[in-house]
Amino acid sequence: MGKRWSNRIALGVLWACGLITVAALGAVIVYVFVRGIGQITPEFIFTKPHGVNAEGGIGPTIWATLYVTGLSMVIVTPIAVLAAVYLAEYAVQGRLVNAIRFAADTLASVPSIVMGLFGFAFFVEAMGFKFSVLSGALALSFLMLPIVMRATEEAIRAVPKYIRWGSYGLGASKWQTVSRIVLPAALPRILTGIILAMGRAVGETAVVIFTMGQAIYLPLSPLDPGRSMTVHLYTLAMEGINMDAAYGTALLLMVMVLFFNLSARWLAARNRRLR
Amino acid sequence: MTDPHGRDEATPVSAGSGLKMMSRATYLKEALLKNVFLLCAVMAVAGVALIFLFVGYRGWPVIQNPGLGAFLFGAEWSATYGKFGIAPLVTGTLVVTIGALLLGAPLAIGTAVFLSEIATPGIRRIVRPAVEMLAGVPSVVFGFFGLVIIRPIAAEMTGGMGFGALSASVILAVMIVPTIATLTEDALRSVVPGIREASYAMGATTWQTIYKVLLPAAKIGIIDAIILGMGRAIGETMAVVMVAGNAPQFFKGLGAPIATVTSQIVIDMSYASGDHRTALFGLAIILFMISMGLVALVRALSRLNAKRS
Amino acid sequence: MVALLLLATPLTGCFGTGMPREEVIVSGSTTLLPIAEVAGEMFAEEHPGVSILVSGMGSSAGIESVTNGSSDIGTSSRELKESEKETGLDDTPVAYDAIAVIVHPDNPVTGLSTMDVRAIFSGVITNWSQLGGPDMEIGLVNRDEASGTREAFAKIIMDDARFDIGAVILPGTGQVRAVVSEVPGAIGYISLGFVTDEVRAVAIDGVEPSEEAVISGTYPVQRVLHFFTRGEVGQSAAEYIEYVLSPAVQETIVRDAGFIPITAKEALGD
Repeated sequence: MGKRWSNRIALGVLWACGLITVAALGAVIVYVFVRGIGQITPEFIFTKPHGVNAEGGIGPTIWATLYVTGLSMVIVTPIAVLAAVYLAEYAVQGRLVNAIRFAADTLASVPSIVMGLFGFAFFVEAMGFKFSVLSGALALSFLMLPIVMRATEEAIRAVPKYIRWGSYGLGASKWQTVSRIVLPAALPRILTGIILAMGRAVGETAVVIFTMGQAIYLPLSPLDPGRSMTVHLYTLAMEGINMDAAYGTALLLMVMVLFFNLSARWLAARNRRLR
Repeated sequence: MTDPHGRDEATPVSAGSGLKMMSRATYLKEALLKNVFLLCAVMAVAGVALIFLFVGYRGWPVIQNPGLGAFLFGAEWSATYGKFGIAPLVTGTLVVTIGALLLGAPLAIGTAVFLSEIATPGIRRIVRPAVEMLAGVPSVVFGFFGLVIIRPIAAEMTGGMGFGALSASVILAVMIVPTIATLTEDALRSVVPGIREASYAMGATTWQTIYKVLLPAAKIGIIDAIILGMGRAIGETMAVVMVAGNAPQFFKGLGAPIATVTSQIVIDMSYASGDHRTALFGLAIILFMISMGLVALVRALSRLNAKRS
Repeated sequence: MVALLLLATPLTGCFGTGMPREEVIVSGSTTLLPIAEVAGEMFAEEHPGVSILVSGMGSSAGIESVTNGSSDIGTSSRELKESEKETGLDDTPVAYDAIAVIVHPDNPVTGLSTMDVRAIFSGVITNWSQLGGPDMEIGLVNRDEASGTREAFAKIIMDDARFDIGAVILPGTGQVRAVVSEVPGAIGYISLGFVTDEVRAVAIDGVEPSEEAVISGTYPVQRVLHFFTRGEVGQSAAEYIEYVLSPAVQETIVRDAGFIPITAKEALGD
């Protein structure tokens, strides 16, 4: 009797845990949506802010966000993919591989504020890139490296071995096999990883605030400064004068992040079906 | 993100396929490429070293001024008066982290157990993406949500202004749920199915199976998950700075404003110079070493686990 | 020194394609930064070929840079020191910065002395009952140290007294106002121009904060914001200063930033 009841109560609690977690996400999304949707107009998306309290649109911040995210993706993808090729295809378990994995894990868990200060000290000051999209992209690529590396390595490992044997059997070299057979087969999963990492970069604040600066500016050259949407939201929310724009920015930011996440999921799901 | 279990650390997929005839040119090209890949892989190590060296280099002078003891154990952080003692900030971080774990860890583990043992596939298809997407919500959005929704509620509950340990812990708790839940679910899934069946066969209820069999079996994985969740809470910045109140004082109660290591860096960095800025880099290098230490701990635990099973 | 680069980097106003022919360099007070910057942007739009480069490094740095000629205009939120007066800088006041001490609208305490405010913010007085109000704990809301408002408040009110470290630190005016409007026992300070009905600005030393009281000089918590120049001023710089003093800037940007236009003095018939 007691056994049944304790079971029922415990299962109820576990159900509640699942529900609370979903509700937490739902609350954030619904709240940001309801308060922000009224702000979204073409002017808000495309024009630049003006005046001391940033009235008007947030165009330059959207552009700066996309720019820095795109640039960091271009920087990180070749390095991360080739690194993963090494780990999955070439490396033999040993000290070096251990060190690489430990370093990747560490990079994945370094607090973003530390990455921001590092980017500031190294790229902004020491390398002389100033507050710029380039500094921001380089700092972000450190953050994205372990994510893309992990996804690519798993993708490569998931490619069935017999496909490789076929290739070797035809006399292909290792690089031919990897570049023509393995990587194409692993491509959808690699893309999923890259998109997820980009979603992460879009939502990052502490890194870009100290590497790209806070100036509202439409960056054209990689050496131009800019203010990301996250930094804009932070500034507006803490300044607290123009809260309407803060809600609008939060909504667009969520839409962008969800877009990246959902397209990664969609890609992964489609890939599973194809197999 | 850091997932010590999902990975197969064994030999490369295609090891042992070196038995082939190839021309000298091909051989050279292959060897060259291999080294290029190696170089890329070593970038991760180089990155970590670079961060450590550069942040450490900028923070190093705290050894002279204010001196290591005065820096680590100094009870006062006040830029105006040139006092850079980080004890209040470290305790602040400790308080909000413990708060976040007390609230967030049970919720996350509960969610993970729900996902792996109770939910029907249909429900799982809703809950699991929700958990994953929660991980993708930018921290400044969480902070914004905390500022406009959680803070007023906390103000009602504590009678203060709502900025402080309570608001920060609640927001952090939600933020660490995905980290802990995902890794815990992985750990539960890697428990051999046989013991589940054995338990049910002996007449145990679902709950008895969960807490007498599954949770103990997945213990180390769950501890790993909690440690990594802790790392996330310690390092989280923007969400905390928006709700903590940022008063560098020792813990005075759930409703009193509090500053953490990360929040103080953000608040001060825009205008700090000289010794003040050095002290901020000193804080950053401490954060770096903490997160690296936690990763090392998790790896050591996983190795222990692998050896045992 | 380097620190305020964060705010200062943009070469605002040169979005266009052609290279600007003339540059006016404005540096100094962070309090004046938003005004100088936005006015500079608007000025540059009306005067193609001119760009106004604004940076905020602090008032002292601004005065120094205009003295040694590295800036055309030095902006300052403080008066010149004796030693700086000898350098023969020309002073153009551009706005009043008055700071209101705000409480919850239901708070029965309507006036405080400078000494009371100092005692409250240094943590000596902690309960409204000590000031003739209800038995309610005082909730302190302070600004971050980068804030120009905090700098002015510290100078005018606090003197040598230290801020209580237990105060909530908020990095923005609007948040201070929002929190004070919600929490019955809270007290904070914001620029007078940002005071709304949600909060009540208390009288200081018996003077209600108002534009008139600021201009006549009876309201104590205020300062004048200056543009300093030295000797002959270039044509564009002179036009820019004139523009800043025009209603187009004074009645819009200066007010939006929470300050009181310097031109309000004439309007009052002084």
